[in-house]
Amino acid sequence: MEKILRDKKAIFLFVFPAFFVFVVIVLLPIVVSIYYSLLDWDGISKGIFIGLKNYKDLFIRNTDGFILAVRNSFILALLSVFIQLPISLFLALVLSREVKGEKFYRTVYFIPVILSTVVIGQLWMKIYNPDYGLLNFLLTKIGLQSLTNQWLGNPKTALMAVFVPIVWQYIGYHMLLMYTSAKSIPTDIYEAAKIDGATESQIAFKITIPLMKPMLKVCVTFAVIGSFKTFDLIYVLTNGGPLHASEVPSTLMYNMIFFRYRYGYGSAMAVFIVAEALIGTLIIQKLFANDDAN
Amino acid sequence: MGRFKKLLAIGVALLLVLSLGACSSSGTNTSSSSSSNNSSASNSSNSSGSGEKITLTYWNIYTSDPLKTKVKEMLDKWNQENPNIQIEQSITENDAYKTKIKAAIAANEAPDIIQSWCGGFSKPFVDAGKILALDDYLNDGTKDQVLPGAFDNITYDGKIYGLTYSGQASVLFVNKDIFSKYNVQVPTTFNDLINAIKTFKSNGVIPFALGNKDEWPGMWYYDLIAVREGGVQLCRDALNGKASFEDPAFVRAAQKLQEMVDAGAFAPGFMGLSRDEATAQFSQGNVAMYFGGNFDGAAFQKEGSNVKGKVDAYRFPAIEDGKGDPTEYIGGGANALLVNANTKHKDEAVKAAKYLAKQLSNAQYVTAGGLPSWKYDDVDPSQVDPLAVQIMNNIVEGAKDSVAAWDLYLEGNDAQTHKDLVAQLFAKQITPEEYAKQMQEKINGSK
Repeated sequence: MEKILRDKKAIFLFVFPAFFVFVVIVLLPIVVSIYYSLLDWDGISKGIFIGLKNYKDLFIRNTDGFILAVRNSFILALLSVFIQLPISLFLALVLSREVKGEKFYRTVYFIPVILSTVVIGQLWMKIYNPDYGLLNFLLTKIGLQSLTNQWLGNPKTALMAVFVPIVWQYIGYHMLLMYTSAKSIPTDIYEAAKIDGATESQIAFKITIPLMKPMLKVCVTFAVIGSFKTFDLIYVLTNGGPLHASEVPSTLMYNMIFFRYRYGYGSAMAVFIVAEALIGTLIIQKLFANDDAN
Repeated sequence: MGRFKKLLAIGVALLLVLSLGACSSSGTNTSSSSSSNNSSASNSSNSSGSGEKITLTYWNIYTSDPLKTKVKEMLDKWNQENPNIQIEQSITENDAYKTKIKAAIAANEAPDIIQSWCGGFSKPFVDAGKILALDDYLNDGTKDQVLPGAFDNITYDGKIYGLTYSGQASVLFVNKDIFSKYNVQVPTTFNDLINAIKTFKSNGVIPFALGNKDEWPGMWYYDLIAVREGGVQLCRDALNGKASFEDPAFVRAAQKLQEMVDAGAFAPGFMGLSRDEATAQFSQGNVAMYFGGNFDGAAFQKEGSNVKGKVDAYRFPAIEDGKGDPTEYIGGGANALLVNANTKHKDEAVKAAKYLAKQLSNAQYVTAGGLPSWKYDDVDPSQVDPLAVQIMNNIVEGAKDSVAAWDLYLEGNDAQTHKDLVAQLFAKQITPEEYAKQMQEKINGSK
């Protein structure tokens, strides 16, 4: 076995196919998109080279509200990291401590993750419906009628209304990742801590969480990048509306390309999303590395 | 237990491999009744009339009945009568189809016969040279078989690029029972309309059901009011860049639209409801009116609708000082079959397209899904949905002129801009003057 691992040719042979697929399916399209983003092109006829004009329109002239869309994706990222992840963490910690029905709850919390986004979208559209939706119904029943709203139809509430299902859907996903990480901690440490008189929450904060750092880094990265790229639930629920209140970069990009026939412009948005995801990942790496050094 | 697990693992692996194979041959995850979605022409020789079998591909959006069954019937009939020219169809849902067909045409993977929409939707395809011009094929008497003006919206640069098979007309649908319950007459002037709205509202009845999530249902209101204020010709001129959107007629139309909003015509939350949710609301029977396209009539006449047989179709009221003729309407040719310019079997594809267009025209009329574009003398009137007959009689017959809904007339970018601006009018986010100014700047500014 060692001989194989040392043989450079063998290493190359095993790694190359996956690397080739990666280059063709991931790297190459990104490079091509960068080229497209420098064109004024409708996707069907010939494109005209216009250099960085698309980027100027995106950021400096802000002709289509891209800055607002980016801001919305940042808000989602914050909500994901500071609301969704703590909930996932709490559930993971509780479940990893050998409670009754552990396997059952694990499955139940994970179900939203595997449900089709369209199904979840339709479900929440019915919950938010101003006439017969569950939310307004409950609010009226408990006497808070003044709080009833049109939710998805009101530009003021649409953004938050759309974010709730997004945050809700992936709680189970992060919970599962954190749960496996928490489960891999050897139980002798807990026994030792118990002997020293530590309470459950002290154990959680001083032992479990620090030992879960690598997985937490993974979860934060996924949550942030997922927020930058988020598309499907917003598309189903509001399509970025009403009046762009819930617009995010990917819904704007989709409309730009398929309904406004501005492929070059849409590509510029796509390139920006890739760039911000890369930069975001690097920043998260740095933050966690600093933490490790402590 | 070990052996069983091994077998299970192998079984799952096989399943994955097989599904991968299936994945690569079908492009989308929508229902399709043909085996290949991506190949455009047939795989046999390309000499026509030589007795060899040709297969033409045809894409459409009729995922549900009643049209789904009707389309299958017409294809079966053709395939039986034309053993040498077989048509295979692939069906995709409306909105997904619009994305799919654009990508397919751009990638030169479009089918031989393409369902499309008149006006700005097909124009990019025509400009890119992907669609066959049909003028040479229409001198065989086809033009006499269609209704007047059928090909208007599918003519680009003076050439006809498609076979229109159904049209649209803007209709004011009225719930008879609610009107008689509150003793309201069907409004014939705009003032009557505002009074009717106020009467219904004060009685707790929603005057209009409207779902403006996709922005075009609300746009129909504005477009028709603009036709009433300025006339079809002025609208066409503005859309072509020959007149200005800042013409006072367009500003007055925007004001009237906001008047309707202020009078409480629409239920709160309409900005977030989809068109289907709004038609469902009207079908429940608690809403007084619905303004939209004739195609929405199909939802009201479905089994299970509480308003089946209780809905009448009228023209939208006249506007007293408006320059437009009160018979003018929004609509005209809307759906058309295009022929792929790169098809290997031009003659056969055009022949098949003519057949399909006529059959679809009849089918749409009978199912109240659209208004016929071809002459319909061969349709038994008792077969036709009474609402569709009403629409043809009350709105289309004797109408002076029509113009396509503006988002169909305009091309992608401009269509989106118009829809966005009208949505802002509904939300009272901009003034009528500001609306007119931006329309002129953004749509006609660059021409």
